[in-house]
Parts: sequence; C-alpha cells; structure tokens
Amino acid sequence: MIRTNLGRLAVAAAALVAMAGCASTAGGPAPAQTGANGKKQFVVGYSQSNNAEPYRAQLNLQLQYFVKQYPDLKLLPITDAHQDSGTQVSQVQQFIQQKVNALIVSPNEAAPLTAAVQQACDAKIPVVILDRTVNTQCYSSFIGGDNYQAGLKAGQLAAQLLPNGGNVVELQGILSNQPQIDRDKGFNDGIKANPKIKVIQKREAKWLKEDATRVMNQWLAQGLKIDLVYGENDPMALGAYLAASSANKQKAIKFIGTDGLAIPDGGIRAVQLGQLNGTFIYPTGAKEAADAVEALVNGKTVNKKQTLDIEPVTPANAQQLYQKYDFSNKK
Amino acid sequence: MAGTGTGSGTTATVAATPTGGERWKRVLSTLGSLQGYVGLALVLILGIATKGDVFLSQANITNAVGAFASRGILAVGETLVILAAGIDLSVGSMLGLASLVSALLLVNADMPPWVILPVCTVAGAAMGFCNGAGATWLRIQPFVMTLATLSVFRGLDRQISNNVSVGTQVAGPTGKLSEHADQFQLFGTPGHNLFTGVLGAGVYYPVLAFVITCVVFQLILSKTTFGRHIYAVGGNETAARLSGINVDRVKIGVFTICGLLAGFAGPIDAAYSASADPLAGSGYELDVIAAVVIGGAALAGGRGSIVGTFVGVLILTLLDNVLGLNAVSDNLQLIIKGLIVVVAVVLQRPDLISSFAAFLRRTFGRTTASAPSGQTTGSKS
Repeated sequence: MIRTNLGRLAVAAAALVAMAGCASTAGGPAPAQTGANGKKQFVVGYSQSNNAEPYRAQLNLQLQYFVKQYPDLKLLPITDAHQDSGTQVSQVQQFIQQKVNALIVSPNEAAPLTAAVQQACDAKIPVVILDRTVNTQCYSSFIGGDNYQAGLKAGQLAAQLLPNGGNVVELQGILSNQPQIDRDKGFNDGIKANPKIKVIQKREAKWLKEDATRVMNQWLAQGLKIDLVYGENDPMALGAYLAASSANKQKAIKFIGTDGLAIPDGGIRAVQLGQLNGTFIYPTGAKEAADAVEALVNGKTVNKKQTLDIEPVTPANAQQLYQKYDFSNKK
Repeated sequence: MAGTGTGSGTTATVAATPTGGERWKRVLSTLGSLQGYVGLALVLILGIATKGDVFLSQANITNAVGAFASRGILAVGETLVILAAGIDLSVGSMLGLASLVSALLLVNADMPPWVILPVCTVAGAAMGFCNGAGATWLRIQPFVMTLATLSVFRGLDRQISNNVSVGTQVAGPTGKLSEHADQFQLFGTPGHNLFTGVLGAGVYYPVLAFVITCVVFQLILSKTTFGRHIYAVGGNETAARLSGINVDRVKIGVFTICGLLAGFAGPIDAAYSASADPLAGSGYELDVIAAVVIGGAALAGGRGSIVGTFVGVLILTLLDNVLGLNAVSDNLQLIIKGLIVVVAVVLQRPDLISSFAAFLRRTFGRTTASAPSGQTTGSKS
C-alpha cells in the first residue's frame, strides 16, 4: 500500500518537474498569431483585481470596447482575482504561460504583484499597469488617475460651496486602501482654501452605500450641524443623501462624491437629479490602455507614466458627460 | 435562553449536595441564562448615560434597529438551523441574490412590491431547500454545503448584476422611474413609516417585519410539533430518529425556512439603501451567527430560543448605535463586539468556570472534592 502510494507520488513529482521544465522555457517574445481573417493578431491578457466593484465593471466594459477598435488586437477573457492577490498572481502567471503578446494588469496590491509583473517583464512581454502601482520599474507604462487630485478638487469644491464656512463630515472608504488615504489627504488640503470650514467628524463606511446611510443616521441623531458631506465615493455620498432625505434635511446639506460612473445608479445621474452637488470622474484609463497596447505590440514606445485628468461633473455638464461615458449600448 | 431548552447543564447538579463548586455553578448558570437581558440592560444604561435623550429618541431607535433588521430576520432563520445542530453560512449570499432579484423585478419588469416580496420569499425558500437537500440527501456537512452555496449564490448575484448595482429610486436605462418605486421604498428607506398618527411617528417597516418574524417563529418553536422536533433533532439526533421523528424532513425544513427568511429580507435590504449592490450581504453571516450566540443558543444544537436571538440582535444593534453616537473608532468597535461574543459563550458554560474554581482550590490546597464533577460536566458540553 505504502509502496504504490510512493510510486504514484514519484510519478506525480516527475510530471510536475517536467511541467516546470517546460514553464521555464517560456521566455522570449511571442510571435503574433494568425487571426480568423488571415491577418496577424496580437493576443492581449487583462488581469482585473475585482470585477464586483461597479467602477471596475465599467472599466472592463470600456476596455473591451476600445480594444475592439484595433482589428489586430485580440483580448482574452478578462480574469477576475476577486480582490485576492494570490489569485491574481497565478492568473498573471497563466497569461505568461499562454505567451500573450501584451499584458494589462490592475494590481490588487502593489507588493504581491511586483514579482509577477517582473516575471512577465523577464519573458519580454510588454506590461501596462492600470490604476494601482507595483514596486518595480520593469514595465512599459503606468496609466492611472490621481486620487490625491480627486480629493483636492473635491475639497476645493467644498470650499466654494460654503463661502461662509461651515461643518463638513467625511465618509471614508476602507481605511487601509491607498485611494482612501490619498482622497482623504487631498480633500483636507483642498478645504484649506477656506479656513472657516471645519471637518467635524470622519468615519469609515467601507465604500458602501448601506454603511454610509447608517453612519449618517447616527450623525443626524447626534444633532450635529452638518453643512456638507464628502463621500470618498459616490455610493457613500448617496447613502448619506438617502439618510438626510428621510430626515427631510437634504435641502440644508450639500453632498459631494467621487467616481462619476455613467450608470443609472452612478454619480453623474445623481448630479443630474440634484442629489449630489458635484462629483469627479475618476478616469478608468481604458482608452489609454488600449492605445498603449496597440503601440507596444507594434514596437513603438509609449510614455512610462500617464496621469489622467480628473474631470469635474457639474449640473451644467452632467447630461453631456453621461452620454460621453455611457458604454452600455456601445458595441 | 429564556425559552424552552435552557438549563440542561444544571439539571444534573440540582440533586447533588451543594458544595462550594456546585453553588458557583448554579449562580453562573443562572447568570448565563440571563446574560442576554443583563447585556441588553448594560447597553441601554451605557446609551442613556452617555447620550441620554438622543439615544432614546424614537427616530434614533427606529433607525438603529432598522439598519440591522434584515440581519435580524436572517438571525431568526439561522437560530432554527443552529437549534437543529446545523449551521448556514450562505444567508448573506441568499439575501444578496434576493435583494438583486427584487431590484431587477422592480426596475426591469415593473412589478409592484406586493408581487416582488412573495416572489423573492419563494426564491429564497428554493435556495434554502438546496442547502437542506445537500445536507441530508447528499450527507454533506452543513458547514461545507452552505460554504459552497455561499459562493454559488454570490457568483449568481454578480453574474446577473454584471457587477453593477441596481438603483431602485433612479431612472433606469430607459430614463424613467418605475411607477412602483415609491411603494418599494416603504420596505426599508428610513423615514417611510407605516401607521403614522396611530403610533406617533409610526413604525418603520423593517422593524415591524423583524418583530413579527420573531413572534411567529417563537410561537412555532414553542407551540408546534415541528418546533419540538427541531429541539429533539438538535439535542440528540439518534434518539430523535429512534423515537420516530423524520430527522431529514426536520433538517430540510429548517434550511428551507432559513432561505425563505433570507428571501424575505432581500427586498428590505435593497429598499434600505435604495439599490441592490452586487456585494450586499457579504459578511452578514458572521453578524448573524454572533447575534444567535450572544442570544444564548448552543452551536452544538438543542439549546436556544428566538427570544434570545431577538435580544442578541438588539444588543449588537444598540451597541453599534451607542458606540457610533459616541464617535468610538471602528477598530475599537470590532474589538468590543468580538469580546462580547467571547463573554457570552463563556457565560453559557458554567463548567468552565467551576473547573477553574476547582483548579484554584487544588492549587491553594483546600479541598479537591468537586473537581471530578466539574470535569464530567465539561466533557458533556
């Protein structure tokens, strides 16, 4: 019994070693594959950190659209790491095994993904890093929005909306998230433009509408005098709006969000409906990523770092921006 | 705990001569059976002492309980499953899927709320039935079966929603608001109260739904044969089987009810935040199990009650509210809630403390008489 098991183990081990041997030969630039129409096609892999966030779902939709605009690019099914860095590392490694011609990665966390990006780089696969950074310089291009800018502009808008000063409360995303840290810092720098504005409370609502509603209810119950709510994303700002409107205080309070997704439940629509006084489009970078990949597979160079602008959404431009960024019907 | 199955730990010791250890045990087990009320009283005192009038205002209590009501309804279903010595980890996912379905039926199918609620409830029951069927017919441990469906139901939720939240009060892709949107909000948006005028500021629907669910299922547990069978199966499955109880039917029944209540809570959760988020309900299973345990139910089955769970939910709810009103940091809140669960479980096990007392006596050399009895009770639970 023991002997047969040992035997099986040996066979399995040998197979594993053989596979590892094959894997290590996977270096070198991959040749372009021939597509259905007889033309050369470059295969692109995209590793997404977590599909369940509406912002990332929107990013996937846009990337699929923009990659399709280049007939010589073929996007493999997008992998979803479910917010787990270990899963994402293995998914990136699978793309490397498949010898993709280019790789786009939205890292879940910087540190764990660094080695995987390094591996792709060693295999001579051009890598575009989207939205969050990694701790190596061995990639082709970084494309992302600037969370500090997003917070700063929100803070400046708050200073403008409250010319005579007032009390501000802040709903924060998950405290350890880098976007949260940057937006918080930016916002607090932004309101310095008006020294009469005070942040009287800030609390974690984990990016979620439901938690924000609960926290806002508690603030209102405390009898705090609130003039403006800053939600570090739109769902939290809208959750606070919901709590205020059930207490019939929504008219006396101003609300600012961030993200500006062009979806029915998103921030742009909320500005159109007068629920939010303003939000900021945190760009997905999908178009820029598709452009960068097209350039890279054709041997051109691209900017090592592209920081995208933060676009303010106002009641005046909301309708036009919704049309511009609505990808639900674009094929 | 105040309900039917309490005090199984004490019955064995009542007949014995009360030594020091026995007396301790009796005091502690009494305390254990009252822990919920003691805990609730402590939270209330804390709230009144620190935030007085604000804490007790009708609006605050309504909002606080309303925010947890959907979890409270889940906790009722979870109590039945735990009483039958099972566990359901998929309640959060079932609620999430039901909340998404309710929002889609409202926005895309223009269904009125009084149709949506039964549809979601039936869908929930079907999901619960799957859990029960897996746990009995396929003999998969409930922990594993519901761990699997936690993932399956969440996956379905994310797939159907395309990972985008569905707003119930927002004009959809067609640009128009569902004609039933306002009625749907009655299910859960704070401020949309029922019976206003009759009962002051009225009752907030989620609170009403939670209380009625508790009353109905406490009655089912204490007054019906099915209720007694649940305790019997949880207390000793083999004995229950030998005495002619259809154990499989009882188990499938509790899982189905648990799913049914999750389906019922789904629309309430969607209405609360006026949207169904693809992540709604994730992590609820932990709050729910904590509430059931604080309420005095034994995870080994056979002991607990809906009254206890009701008190457990209130403790978690009001504690969250008191800490929030006092601006206690979230990190500290997590620590406090965790410690409360530990205290609740320790108080349910008088044997732990009496054997600790025996250990002290041995160490300090008085008498060793009660040490063995402490151990026997210890092995029982």
